[in-house]
Amino acid sequence: MSAAKAKMREKKMRNQPASVQYPSPSHVESRAENGGEGDDAGSRTTLSISSGTSVTRAELTRILGGQSDAHPSWKRQQTPPVRHGWVRGHHNGDGGYDTEMPNHITAGAFARARAAEVSAMLKAATELTCSSHVFRALPKHMRRRAMSHNTKRLPRRLRNVANRMREKSLQAGLKKKKELVKSKSRKARRRHGNLLLEFNRRQRKNIWLETHIWHAKRFHMVKKWGYCLGVRPTYKCYRPCYRAMSSHCLLQDLSYYCCIELKGEEDKLLAALTQLTCKEAGPTFAAAMFLSGARQGSVTVYRAGQYPSDPLGPVTFLWRPQTPGLTPRQLWIWAHPALKQDLLPELQSVCQCSEAMAPPVEPEVSRAEADPSPQAEPNPDNELKAGAKRKRCCKDAGEPPAKRILGDGTRLPTSPVTWRSSSTGIVINDLTMEIVRYRLIGPQSHSVLAETLEAATVCDELKSSPFWWPEHCKDRSNMKLHQQQTDVFNVLKGIYSSGELPPGTVLGLTVDDPRLTLPRQKVKAAPCVNRDQVGDEEKRNQLMLKGVPLQCCQSFLWEQSVRENVTDNKISEQELNRMRTELLVPGSRLGPGPQQGRVPVLLVHQPGKQVGDELGSWGSGWDLLLPKGWGMAFWVPLVYRGVRVAGLHMSLKHSQDKAAPHFPHDYPDCPAGSRFQEEQEAEFLETFRRRPPAKRTNYIKHGCLAPFRCPWQQLAEEWELLATDGGAERKGDGQTQKARKSHEVMEEVTSQQTVAAASPPSFTVLSFLGHKFHKLNCIFLSAHQNRKSLRLLSSWCRPLTCRGQRRGRGAAVALPLSDSAVTSFHSAHKMSVVWVRLTLLSKGKPEAHAMVCAPTAEDLKLFGKSPENCGPQEPPHKDHYKSRINHKKKSSKTATPSQVSDDPTASTDPHSPSDLILGLWPDPLPSVTSHCSRVTLGWVTQGDFSLSVGRGEALGFVSVSGLLHTLLRQPPELRGTLLLRNPTSLHYRFVRLNIDV
Amino acid sequence: MVRVKSRYLLCEINVSDRRDLLKLDDRAVAGSVKAAVARTHGDYGAALCSIRFCVKYLNAHTGIVFLRFHKGFYKLLWSALPFITSIECRGQIIPCFLNCLHVGGTIRTCQKFLIRYNTRQLHQMLPKYKNKVEEKRKIQEAILSCSLTGGGNKALEDELESEEEDDE
Repeated sequence: MSAAKAKMREKKMRNQPASVQYPSPSHVESRAENGGEGDDAGSRTTLSISSGTSVTRAELTRILGGQSDAHPSWKRQQTPPVRHGWVRGHHNGDGGYDTEMPNHITAGAFARARAAEVSAMLKAATELTCSSHVFRALPKHMRRRAMSHNTKRLPRRLRNVANRMREKSLQAGLKKKKELVKSKSRKARRRHGNLLLEFNRRQRKNIWLETHIWHAKRFHMVKKWGYCLGVRPTYKCYRPCYRAMSSHCLLQDLSYYCCIELKGEEDKLLAALTQLTCKEAGPTFAAAMFLSGARQGSVTVYRAGQYPSDPLGPVTFLWRPQTPGLTPRQLWIWAHPALKQDLLPELQSVCQCSEAMAPPVEPEVSRAEADPSPQAEPNPDNELKAGAKRKRCCKDAGEPPAKRILGDGTRLPTSPVTWRSSSTGIVINDLTMEIVRYRLIGPQSHSVLAETLEAATVCDELKSSPFWWPEHCKDRSNMKLHQQQTDVFNVLKGIYSSGELPPGTVLGLTVDDPRLTLPRQKVKAAPCVNRDQVGDEEKRNQLMLKGVPLQCCQSFLWEQSVRENVTDNKISEQELNRMRTELLVPGSRLGPGPQQGRVPVLLVHQPGKQVGDELGSWGSGWDLLLPKGWGMAFWVPLVYRGVRVAGLHMSLKHSQDKAAPHFPHDYPDCPAGSRFQEEQEAEFLETFRRRPPAKRTNYIKHGCLAPFRCPWQQLAEEWELLATDGGAERKGDGQTQKARKSHEVMEEVTSQQTVAAASPPSFTVLSFLGHKFHKLNCIFLSAHQNRKSLRLLSSWCRPLTCRGQRRGRGAAVALPLSDSAVTSFHSAHKMSVVWVRLTLLSKGKPEAHAMVCAPTAEDLKLFGKSPENCGPQEPPHKDHYKSRINHKKKSSKTATPSQVSDDPTASTDPHSPSDLILGLWPDPLPSVTSHCSRVTLGWVTQGDFSLSVGRGEALGFVSVSGLLHTLLRQPPELRGTLLLRNPTSLHYRFVRLNIDV
Repeated sequence: MVRVKSRYLLCEINVSDRRDLLKLDDRAVAGSVKAAVARTHGDYGAALCSIRFCVKYLNAHTGIVFLRFHKGFYKLLWSALPFITSIECRGQIIPCFLNCLHVGGTIRTCQKFLIRYNTRQLHQMLPKYKNKVEEKRKIQEAILSCSLTGGGNKALEDELESEEEDDE
């Protein structure tokens, strides 16, 4: 019985009389089962009754005399002792019995016993036994409406009680009201200043993007990586988003990507950065194409000097084009926020930048240090401090008290953002949230940009002004550059699709405030169709072949002073609206506008799908880089051009359709990736455990060892072991190997033991060769050799007789698949897994963590006969742990600990039954490769029905040794056909393996 | 209202030696009732007696006992009560018999009956008692103490006070 229930019962029973008797030791425990009343109820009765009677325990013992052999524990009602002798119930008090036992005439005691009983019964019968309210004392027909409000409606005898009750409840209400007083009225809360304060307060925990409010109204928001980000819109838009990506334009706010700026001498910068990368892994920071600043590059960063082990993750980078007067070069490295915490210390160590430079606002910072709580108080000084670092405000006295936080609100104003090295002179600047980055995906993204942006109008005034643009207009070379950039931008309008441009092209531009040209209604940006001029045609071809000329890549966005000037001098929305009202013709376009509305931007081309044969350059687009503070000014005009807006969910799908690994999800070898895997596992496990056990998928029965997290390490180890064992046997007979494997499958337990026995040496092997793990992770980033070997592998995966398929780029030079070739390949890539794309050949939708398995010869035969058949079935496994869990449940209910320890299964069981979860394998997994009837090669990390292919498509990793081993045994015309099985299904589906190079 | 209905038997336990009465406890009474039912009605009766049978109240001084039976077959069980000749309690066999005074549908009616019964007994006792003045005075006191003089309201207030104490 719960405590509340017991209390209720006590309340209910306290007026009921308890049995009056002498308890005996043997009797005590029986009370609960027989008597209805609890002991506490009895004691209450005792109190109330004993006040009426004056018998003490001494008197009782005296009366009981000699028969009190054992002193009765006197805990019940203290009724007086009764007289002895034969007593009939209905005796008339004639004293007839008294004559029989004259020694013990106790009429008074008899009477008192009766009297006590009567009063107890009276109490029980007349008083309320329920958990009562006063009104329930009244019979129903006497109850009146609103009695609790107006106590005069009650009968007089109940009025006092009711009044007291009412006062009590009023007091309780007052207490509650006092707590509620804190929150202001909605009107007050929504007042602009207060709202802003509230927003600023909320921004101190997680960074808000500039478009946060816009997103929060339309998107499901999550807190991730220290930011508040939109995952997916609240409306249904999966397919519309896909259509936008493939035919029009999809917009994403990528401002949460962190920008790290490096400044210094070119050779010193390169010397530092080469430690992080390797030439083997494709073009690095030093590649001429990127170094000039004409292209944006991307590279996988490793820990300093650790290549090829310890990768950190992929970054994109952009060099500032060299300007004649400026010797120090400037480099922006854009990294995912999950990567930043690893990348920044690494950069600092390679550049030897240990001196943290104080943030630029010195005096205010010192005051902020003195102030213990520089939080959102309406104190203008404090607010200034919070905002001042980001946004240099002109120090007017008439500033509004609260200012919007631009940039990173979570960081303390005192925390350094700049580090300088005294030895090399390199300066690292953390530009997180300093630059807004929007990504437009889709073939029409250039038309959207062309409609939204308009090259800045030149101003001819010769007066000096506080704004940057008029000053720049005075310089002839600047104007020439601006003219060139405008020309290029105009040519850009005429191209057919964003995918036509060379990947990574950069275009600097200065544009007018896009709010001036905001259309009155949402329109859909259409491609520009007038391409009649011959000169334009030529220019267009030039652009498409060579990209943007080098000098046009320069932009004033690189200059911090210009950025700050632009951010500070943004015209407010209110001011713009005021100007609109002053127009002569209502609704007509605003003129060129005041001189502060010129914004330097950078347009960076984003390459689409670069690997594989199909759908080349799908999903290409442009990134728009803006100075801080202008986010919403560009966002709304872009949205008014008919783009779709998507969240994190769509960026995952975008990379999935591009067959590219998505950063934290598909990089299990990076620290950020492994962190993500842990989080994901915990999340999946949480949702799994939330269901009742009967409704959970029993993954043991499905033969799925790792439904929530893929044990890559174990996979690589096991295949290594199998390959080294099999290598010796292969020369003799392939069949023995197979027999061995089937044997393994049959005797799972023994194989488990062998693996367990073999694990200590394989661990040492691992620590030695661990660097090869996931070495081929990112295919297009890997080295020339790696790329070559990948091409080789890719060509081996293709069926030979399939004439319709175009031969791969590297396939012509490939060696034929043979034992010797495989052995040499394998020795070069031990312990590695490879990124593959799997296309389903029949129906089916792959899911994350689905198993990639090798088909047996019979499966292939079956498949060869009728390619459309659905594939084999996995026989259901047996859940040995279920009985153990059930047993545990039972034993915990009934058995004592000694019985549990006697249990033979419990003593032999290596895992204590407490950490068993129904349907999941306990932690030391058995052999992952040979657990099912088909040998497991790897797992899928992302899988879905692909709208671009029209079939299920999955991306994942496959063990190289396992793959080679499988390919050798497949007939040449069916090479690369594998099986895929979802974790919740027993059905294998045939898939075609592709390694895109 | 839908509820499980019961019959409450208000019985009086009569013993030869008044002191034996003090040794009684509810468990022993329940056991002897069950035994008697089993003896007279066999297994069927014993089974019926296990349904909702309970000794609700036992006063060892006055020998009053409340027995609760299921309404459906209380007559059958009641018929076995006269066969109780002794109650075994604390290792002693107490010869006794049960005398049923009242059968009620709720425990409240039984309580009300008991009040009336006891007061009537006391009132009958008082005029016929002539021997000792002191004893007589005691009986008078007892009669006075069990009369209700505005007790209900007062008790309710007490209850409220105690509630308040609980809250704090």
